[in-house]
Amino acid sequence: MTSSLDTREEGAPALLVTCGGIEFRNPVLTASGTFGYGQEFDTLLSLRNLGGLVTKGISPEPRFGNPPPRICETAAGMLNSIGLENVGIEAFAREKLPFLRSCGTRVLVNFFGTTFDEYVDCGARLAALDGVDGLEMNVSCPNIKAGGIEFGRDPSVLGDLVKACRAVIRKPLWVKLTPNTSDIVALARACADNGADAVSMINTITGMAINVRTRRPKIATVFGGLSGPAIKPVALRMVYQVHRAKIPIPICGIGGIQDGTDAIEFLLAGASCVQVGTQSFVDPASAERIIREIEEYCRAQGVADVRELIGGLATGPQARPATG
Amino acid sequence: MRYFDARVIENRSLGGGYFILRLGGCEPLAGSRPGQFVMLRGDWGRDPLLPRPLSLLSVPHEGRADLLAKVVGKGTALMERSPPGSRVSVLGPLGNSFPAPSADVTDLLVAGGVGLPPLFMQSEAAAGLGLAGRSEMLYGGKTSRDLVLLGEMRGLGIAIHLATEDGSLGRRGRVTDELEARLDYWRAAASPRRLRIMACGPREMLWAVGRIAQSCDIECYLSLEEHMACGIGVCLGCAVAAQTRPYRYVCKDGPVFPAREVMVHATPALASPREGGTR
Repeated sequence: MTSSLDTREEGAPALLVTCGGIEFRNPVLTASGTFGYGQEFDTLLSLRNLGGLVTKGISPEPRFGNPPPRICETAAGMLNSIGLENVGIEAFAREKLPFLRSCGTRVLVNFFGTTFDEYVDCGARLAALDGVDGLEMNVSCPNIKAGGIEFGRDPSVLGDLVKACRAVIRKPLWVKLTPNTSDIVALARACADNGADAVSMINTITGMAINVRTRRPKIATVFGGLSGPAIKPVALRMVYQVHRAKIPIPICGIGGIQDGTDAIEFLLAGASCVQVGTQSFVDPASAERIIREIEEYCRAQGVADVRELIGGLATGPQARPATG
Repeated sequence: MRYFDARVIENRSLGGGYFILRLGGCEPLAGSRPGQFVMLRGDWGRDPLLPRPLSLLSVPHEGRADLLAKVVGKGTALMERSPPGSRVSVLGPLGNSFPAPSADVTDLLVAGGVGLPPLFMQSEAAAGLGLAGRSEMLYGGKTSRDLVLLGEMRGLGIAIHLATEDGSLGRRGRVTDELEARLDYWRAAASPRRLRIMACGPREMLWAVGRIAQSCDIECYLSLEEHMACGIGVCLGCAVAAQTRPYRYVCKDGPVFPAREVMVHATPALASPREGGTR
């Protein structure tokens, strides 16, 4: 099958992947909350070279976010408590979407609400917009009616939420899973059973940091979300657990990806594509570099099609290389 | 704004943990204005992870850029040890700038410790316009070791007024004491002039400067520092409470703000802090 997205030169490895009902020219997307609304990076890399981008999480109304300090650096990572600040649907459609329509890459819009009805309303309105290729549900938002526990922590609540959104969203619907759970497979299954097209995983891991001089937490809300290379082993483990459980929807892997090797680890663990998050702060052109590095790996390893790597982890007894 | 690789061509220690990184290959920074900054990261692996925001000290010519920093943590410690030839990645120039020097107004430039760079660059701009006599540098630190580049500033023809908390150089006390003394001087002058204050330094110092300016009804600009991950308005980490909106962002709305815009003490009611609401 030849796709209009497949513009590679003859003999180059095929990078085209399909995940959750969307075809991407390569398996590298940029993650929500680390790539703004896309336009911020327009002069820093070529958006047309990306597999896709995921916007900042959108809510029905604008949100102003949490009080500062909102971020701090930790060992090989960072904590954030931005507070889901965003411009709201109306301003998104009016001010951000016109650029995204012509940016030349796939656009997934991350969205959330603070109640079931808000999720459903927000998802339906966003799905109706031209230029939105798919939606990614952020379920790490506190459920006010349930005492502030995140929607995405309880499989049955999550399943009901996915089902309600699925009923009104006729575009690809991905769910971004929280890692703050003891059973990631149950969460992924709840998404698959209720009609989600894919899961993206993982969102940030709840953490904290303390300033010993002031004896105060380093971020104002005390707890924040840990991201960056520090979380990669946890993310990889969870992706593999969901893949191994044969959950019947594809996985988009996220968590501490800094280079092509990291991305390939996620593909081998079972992800069909990946998102680059915090690394876009470290190196704003990193997503483009990671695509090149995946291509170089494929050439060096004789991989003709990147899809050969998906779920390719070898776990049987290891054949020792011959010595001498 | 560009993202590019540069090289350290000189790394000069000034004592007291202060150092000047002189970078080559910074052609994209030509035309940068006082107050603007760069996000800088060395080739040092995964930890520390994020680039560091550093104010420009001087962007003289031919792709050169000078940055003044002080060792305060891992990132600045690594920078301080970067030998000539080290590769660094640079994103910039970022942010806004102080108002341009003008013959119609006398600028009181108030610097606290490592807050010197944007004001040094502002005094260079004033000297370049033949307006050195229209600027005064008020510069304070804990000890004389915190006051650097004095010879360079005198070379620009800018009047300098120093203050140290231990009295080892200049007035014993805070730079805000010196600011009040200079305001008294100008108010008593035979030919009063329109005054303007521009300041950069620790947050407590900036707020004190802002309060003095407000009490005298003098135009005042503060250059703020805040933790930031991206420098381009994406991470939203560098929020500061503001007067006309719930928050403003140091990286893209600033770092220079009219004092009245950011002299806000209470957290706005619009904010809804919640545990777990991350990005």
